[in-house]
Amino acid sequence: MDIDDILREVDPASHGIPLETRDLQALTRLWVAERSAPELLNWPADGLFERVNSKIKSQIEKIEDMTGDMDPKTNFALIVIQTELERYKFLVRSYLRTRIAKIDKHTLHYLSTEELRQRLSPTELAYATRHQALLHNHYLSSFLSSFPQRLQNLNDTAGNVSMIDSPDLDTAVFVRLLREKDVFGRGTDSDTILPAANGDVLIMRWSSAKALVEDGDAELV
Amino acid sequence: MYGDLGIKLVQHAKRTQNLAHLPPYQAELVRAVTREVRDLNKDVDDLLEPFQGSFDPAEDQAVAYTLLVNHISMRRNKRCLLAYHRTRTDKLEELVWNGADVIDLSGQQVRDGGASGSKGVASGDGSTSSLSPQEEDYVRQYGDLLAAYKGQWTDIDLTGSLEPPRDLFIDVRVLKDAGEIQTEYGAITLTKNSQFYVRQGDVERLIAQGYLQKLS
Repeated sequence: MDIDDILREVDPASHGIPLETRDLQALTRLWVAERSAPELLNWPADGLFERVNSKIKSQIEKIEDMTGDMDPKTNFALIVIQTELERYKFLVRSYLRTRIAKIDKHTLHYLSTEELRQRLSPTELAYATRHQALLHNHYLSSFLSSFPQRLQNLNDTAGNVSMIDSPDLDTAVFVRLLREKDVFGRGTDSDTILPAANGDVLIMRWSSAKALVEDGDAELV
Repeated sequence: MYGDLGIKLVQHAKRTQNLAHLPPYQAELVRAVTREVRDLNKDVDDLLEPFQGSFDPAEDQAVAYTLLVNHISMRRNKRCLLAYHRTRTDKLEELVWNGADVIDLSGQQVRDGGASGSKGVASGDGSTSSLSPQEEDYVRQYGDLLAAYKGQWTDIDLTGSLEPPRDLFIDVRVLKDAGEIQTEYGAITLTKNSQFYVRQGDVERLIAQGYLQKLS
């Protein structure tokens, strides 16, 4: 933050929300949504994380530059920047860990179809594939290799029991409506259609809420 | 009886979930369950042999039911084994995320063994480890995998604290001598029972490893 930043803020020409702020908002939204949704959500495709990463890098460099300075004013600014950086890093870390936890839990499910694979980032896909291979190897060397050939699979679906565990899409989630809309929700006894206004918070099944969230009509809270 | 051994494994797994450390690997049980599966499979093959591939379940119902029971027992045993191993690998992965390594794990078991009075066992090398050799391999490989994934996010430190950061600086008390650490504000020597006001990011690792205690 220097004088240019302050000038730019009062300059009417760039009065829109700056990209950095929008990125932070997007990141926070993604983080909240990922934490409340029962299944893995799409990896943001618009290069958000590349931008976030480069921002974090530049802040770290700035901190390193400022550390040598013993001026109390810089010191104060330094603490503010460092705190902000720690928070930013926490957001990213928590977001990534939430995703990894979900991927670990239902690895085969997310690897099973091309559509589900699309949700993972390339590094996550590499991680999931490798992790599954490791697990399979571990099972094989521990006991599976001495099993009869036809029982060695890990993805059998015979006998109406699929070995591939998938997330429970009917878990309840809280959503906040972003525009007025008649909301359709599946219930235990009967289904309902509920007219809801902008800003209303509803609790409903994720399977019913998913379409709303994807269309931008609602967000997870 | 079919499946008796399998349920024991599941009970072990269930118990493991609530323990802080990892109990010893039940190599004997795993072998016994695997043997049961092989025996059952052999029975199935023996039963089917006289039919030469033209077995009609409706004609010979007794054999059909035997086959069904054998088959379901095998599948059940497989599930038990998978569940047992998965619970243990989950636990191991958690330990890897928390920054433990295989040598630490074995060491910890040696200390535990010593504390519970079986000092004689502690002198052996590797035999005291509660991990099977396959599990040790797995931990090592998973550690590599995690390191590779973390390498993509060098600035974030993925294994860092999952508590939202409140303060940049925290009070810590030193529980064990940890030597000298380098921070942006110079070097600090961490001697036992001393207290410091330090940047959280600098000492997170030491807190996780039990050298420091965070004071609220």
